[in-house]
Amino acid sequence: MIEMSLDGIPVQVEEGSTILDAARFYGIEIPTLCHMDGLSSYGACRLCVVEIGKGENAKLVSSCTYPAEQGLLVRTNSKRVVTARKILVELLVAMCPSSKTVQDLASAMEVTQVRFKVDRTNDCILCGLCVRMCEEQMMAKAIGFVNRGKNRKITTPFDMKSEVCRTCGGCMYICPACELRCQGPNAETDLCNACLNVQPVCLKEEDNKMCFLETCGWCYEELGRKKKKMEKK
Amino acid sequence: MKKIQTASDLKDVRETITKNTRNGKTIVTLCGGTGCHASGCSTVISAFKRELKKQKLKDKVDLKVTGCHGFCEKGPIVVLHPKGIFYKQVKAKDVKEIVEQTLLKGKIVDRLLYNDPLTGKKITLEKDVQFYKGQERIVFADNGLLDPYKIEDFIAIGGYTAAVKALTTMSPERIIDEIKKSGLRGRGGAGFPTGVKWESCRNAKGSTKYIICNADEGDPGAYMDRSLIEGNPFSILEGMLIGAFAIHANEGIIYVRDEYPIAVQTMKNAITLARKWGFLGKNILDSGFDFDLSIVRGAGAFVCGEETALIASVEGKKGEPRQRPPFPTQKGLWGKPTNINNVETWANVPYIINKGSKWYSSIGTEKSKGTKIFSLVGKINNTGLVEVPMGITLKEMIYSIGGGIPEGKSFKAVQTGGPSGGCIPKELLETPIDYEKLKEVGSIMGSGGMVVMDEDTCMVDVARYFLEFLQDESCGKCLSCREGTKRMAEIVTDITKGQGKEGDIELLQELATAVKDTSMCGLGQTAANPVLSTIKFFSAEYETHIMDRKCPAGVCRDLYISPCQNACPAGMNAPGYISLIGEGRFTEALELALDTNPFPSVCGRICDHQCMFKCRRNQIDEPVAIRSLKRFIGDYEENGIDYPKIKLPTFTMPFKVAIVGAGPAGLSCAYFLARLGYKPTVFEKLPVAGGMMAVAIPEYRLPKAILQREIDNIKKLGVNIKLNTQVGEDITISQLWSQGYQAFFVAVGMYGDRNLGIPGENLENVIQAVDLLSDINLDKPVVSPAGKKVVVIGGGNSAVDAARTMLRMGASSVAIIYRRTRREMPAYVEEIEAAEHEGVQIKFLTAPEKIFGEKGKVKSIECIKMRPGEFDTEGRQKPVPVKDSNFFIDADIVVPAIGEFSDVSGLFTGLDVETNRDGTIKTDKHGRTSIPGLFSGGDVVSGPATVINAIASGERTAVTIDQYLTKDRTRKYPWREHKKVDTFFDPEAEPVSYRMQKPKTLLPKDRRGCFDEVELSFTQALAKKEAKRCLRCDLELELQEKLQKEKPLEVT
Repeated sequence: MIEMSLDGIPVQVEEGSTILDAARFYGIEIPTLCHMDGLSSYGACRLCVVEIGKGENAKLVSSCTYPAEQGLLVRTNSKRVVTARKILVELLVAMCPSSKTVQDLASAMEVTQVRFKVDRTNDCILCGLCVRMCEEQMMAKAIGFVNRGKNRKITTPFDMKSEVCRTCGGCMYICPACELRCQGPNAETDLCNACLNVQPVCLKEEDNKMCFLETCGWCYEELGRKKKKMEKK
Repeated sequence: MKKIQTASDLKDVRETITKNTRNGKTIVTLCGGTGCHASGCSTVISAFKRELKKQKLKDKVDLKVTGCHGFCEKGPIVVLHPKGIFYKQVKAKDVKEIVEQTLLKGKIVDRLLYNDPLTGKKITLEKDVQFYKGQERIVFADNGLLDPYKIEDFIAIGGYTAAVKALTTMSPERIIDEIKKSGLRGRGGAGFPTGVKWESCRNAKGSTKYIICNADEGDPGAYMDRSLIEGNPFSILEGMLIGAFAIHANEGIIYVRDEYPIAVQTMKNAITLARKWGFLGKNILDSGFDFDLSIVRGAGAFVCGEETALIASVEGKKGEPRQRPPFPTQKGLWGKPTNINNVETWANVPYIINKGSKWYSSIGTEKSKGTKIFSLVGKINNTGLVEVPMGITLKEMIYSIGGGIPEGKSFKAVQTGGPSGGCIPKELLETPIDYEKLKEVGSIMGSGGMVVMDEDTCMVDVARYFLEFLQDESCGKCLSCREGTKRMAEIVTDITKGQGKEGDIELLQELATAVKDTSMCGLGQTAANPVLSTIKFFSAEYETHIMDRKCPAGVCRDLYISPCQNACPAGMNAPGYISLIGEGRFTEALELALDTNPFPSVCGRICDHQCMFKCRRNQIDEPVAIRSLKRFIGDYEENGIDYPKIKLPTFTMPFKVAIVGAGPAGLSCAYFLARLGYKPTVFEKLPVAGGMMAVAIPEYRLPKAILQREIDNIKKLGVNIKLNTQVGEDITISQLWSQGYQAFFVAVGMYGDRNLGIPGENLENVIQAVDLLSDINLDKPVVSPAGKKVVVIGGGNSAVDAARTMLRMGASSVAIIYRRTRREMPAYVEEIEAAEHEGVQIKFLTAPEKIFGEKGKVKSIECIKMRPGEFDTEGRQKPVPVKDSNFFIDADIVVPAIGEFSDVSGLFTGLDVETNRDGTIKTDKHGRTSIPGLFSGGDVVSGPATVINAIASGERTAVTIDQYLTKDRTRKYPWREHKKVDTFFDPEAEPVSYRMQKPKTLLPKDRRGCFDEVELSFTQALAKKEAKRCLRCDLELELQEKLQKEKPLEVT
């Protein structure tokens, strides 16, 4: 067993586990986007960054890839971590505002502004979950990344229909952006803040209830209310 | 070929080679590096071959085409050994002369020698060239000596002795220990201790291990790895062999980018030869150790310089990094322990093994040992590769080795470490170059790129350039690097286009810090450096771009109208009035000039014409004579031009404004206030208005009548000038305040002379230059210099003015002594030349020590010779006295002219105005002092500056005062709007080259004894002709837009 410190709490974790595993085991929440149990760690979305070390040597690392080490000092919620995560989410919203996952992350992290030019045509956040799903779980390798930098995208070889694709739909199932689009009304601002920041009436009455409705319509009402408020102002 | 097995084998071979080749032969080494290839060395090589054959010298002379010598600026380079005669910029047609003169007759070809720009002397030997003198070459030392295609050459200079020593006499542990002790750190840029890396790889579990040489050099402007491979590939192979033996790796890979075809070819050949001679393959040097190498060619992605990305690329995957740990030394290529080092690191290894770690660690600083090769590029005189010991200052690097900035421009910043490095400003040029110190100032060592930038570089544009590079080269795997660089580039591009917003700088900083903190690999972690360092050191430039929508360097095309207008502190519309002059519409031209400058006639005579230095016509032949043209319309009466009517508002502003000091700043402020409807009052302590323009500039440069006419024109607008009224003495500011004045503009200038601080200064006939000039201008009695010997001390314009004035008043001889060289003399070049023509002697590198007197009067002056010493951060060499070089100059009058200072102590009785340490008044950039309602500008704020700067300061403050009094920040100021002129211009017509028209001047013999103006005005015909030389850069944007509208670009 490895002994280390998580947010000041001395913890014991099994050898071979990552910081993220350790944190989740001890009930500490770290947001992730490109991580999925059962797929290899990728470290691309950087949302899971945590601060390790102390003093001048303190640095941010991605907890989904960093192995737990003996005597490691980990802070999952320090100021440095929170500011970094917030601006990353801001970048995500600007990149793909139509994704419900991204909007929910923004709401959860209390991101209040998007200061970058918002790209409303884009619907991929390049997290690479689908690529790994296809390769590691479906053993197909039908899709992959092409180009680099700002031109990077996910596609099949030569942009043609892949021969190895069995149209299993695994990629679509796992996608946090293009598949899980917000089904509600289009928010007028870049940040929607509709569904996570309100508690639907039905849940208020029975707090244990799990809701599987795609949309309960509550966000319509909430948005309408906000609009009226704005008009009054 | 027998393989070499032991030390004695190698010794025997070496002796045979030396005997055969170095039998008193002359060796001609010819640089065949990439730089010299670009300057056309291949024709020189074939010319040499032909000529040697023709002269039947083939057996007596050895021709060697070597790798890069480093001094790429002067290529193609030819060095004749054993003497070391250095010829630069050799062309094929020079070869015959070299062979006939130097090789056959032993004579030097003078015109091919290197001319030292600092001393002006011709240098014969390679070792005496300043560029090489300042360097300490270890790794790069042999590059100019050997043929990279011949292993014999390498062995002849002692190659492979280190490998023999290591493999036959040392244990792997001892080798690693030696490298650790030497303090060698990774030369790729991160600076990880090499020995520690090797040890960790050696101790890693597993029997199969790899070593890799990282030759994926991708930084713009860096080419030392390439030159090492192209020039001395065997030293890298030797280093890798030693490393492989120490780590126990049997396989090695050289990852070189495919854009380096010569490097790939040289390396391939070197590997084949090394195999042949037994330095690669099975049982090397009979040690039982097997090692072989292969080349992998990279496809040229910048990110593949990162080790995990490089490994992915070698494995045939997409070149993308992965998160470390595990580190490659644990789990690298194919999952096996892998040690990756940079080309230069490997090349250092043989020298450490041969000469020992003690020797190596004696070079450099505490934490950074040894030498480092830098590629010195950009706006620098001596472009090339430089190897220097760690710890040398940037200043030495740029001014001493690099030879300073071309065309006498001033240094602005140096960018170290390629796109991921930072820009280091002038103030930090004393920084020693080592890993830690560069990091401290926000840059990195990187692989050793060093891009020098001059005053014409816009730092926001630099940040934009590097960000664009990085957003293309980022692999795009992690969000922070991909989106971060993209968004930073987006914001910075907006700023350069004039679409910046308040808060952009803060957002950039926040984003840059996050990108630095959260990115996966080195590329992203350093991608923010260009932004952070330019914001840190050049935030004012960002602010000017965002708030004022101006690009001071004149680079961001959307932010200025024409380079000359952008360079002018007062923003005069030069293309406008010049084109009007060209059409003979002189009154309109004068009206346009008067729009932004109340003193066109004064500026037409004594302005330092920044506009002309930026004039684009200079790239064709010479700049347009903007100053003389301005003077032409300024002398409207003489040239028969009607004076335009200046439009004044019909109302009068109900505020009283007082201006203290009737110099150029004060009068300009009054002029612009008057045009806004104010009736300001100017208080002047002297009996004349005009300030320094009236008292410090002699009649022959600026006739008093001309100045008075321009002042009278200002008065006509309703400005009241009260002469002989000294504020602070005759009347205080508080009294004026109670008289109803609501705003004050203090522009009293600099009027105290600085003392020399040498004995004998208080003798009679030691007269300060400004006192002397003003007494003459105010018709006060002065000591007559007739028939006397005058010595002026100083190098500024007032020194030259004083000297020329003394000469005109009949001095028998006038000498100026100046402690630096002509190059550094601050006076205008044309003034210095004119003074010399008139007979003023200028003694450079001379400083006064003591003034001797007789009966209280000056008799002689003791001087000492100086020599140029160390460079300062401005690139000027500090003068150092030469011991025992004292000498005497006879003098009857001594005129010190070493600068002015300001003294405002008596001015603000009862007011607590903040001042700077040097006595100048502290204001913000709008001219506001610490007291509301009290404004200041001109020299008393900026320190000694030019007339046009004072005018600009007066205009700025007039606007500030108006905004303060009206409390309206949205007011429009008519002169600040760009005025288009409806002159004809044919954009299709190619400019015909003809030189600048020069106005007539009086002959030197006619100038003596009188104060007539030296330079005359243009005639109408000449003015029109000169005006037509203007290229009309102001129309560029307009025409471009028009063209785009007419012919929309079609992408097919």
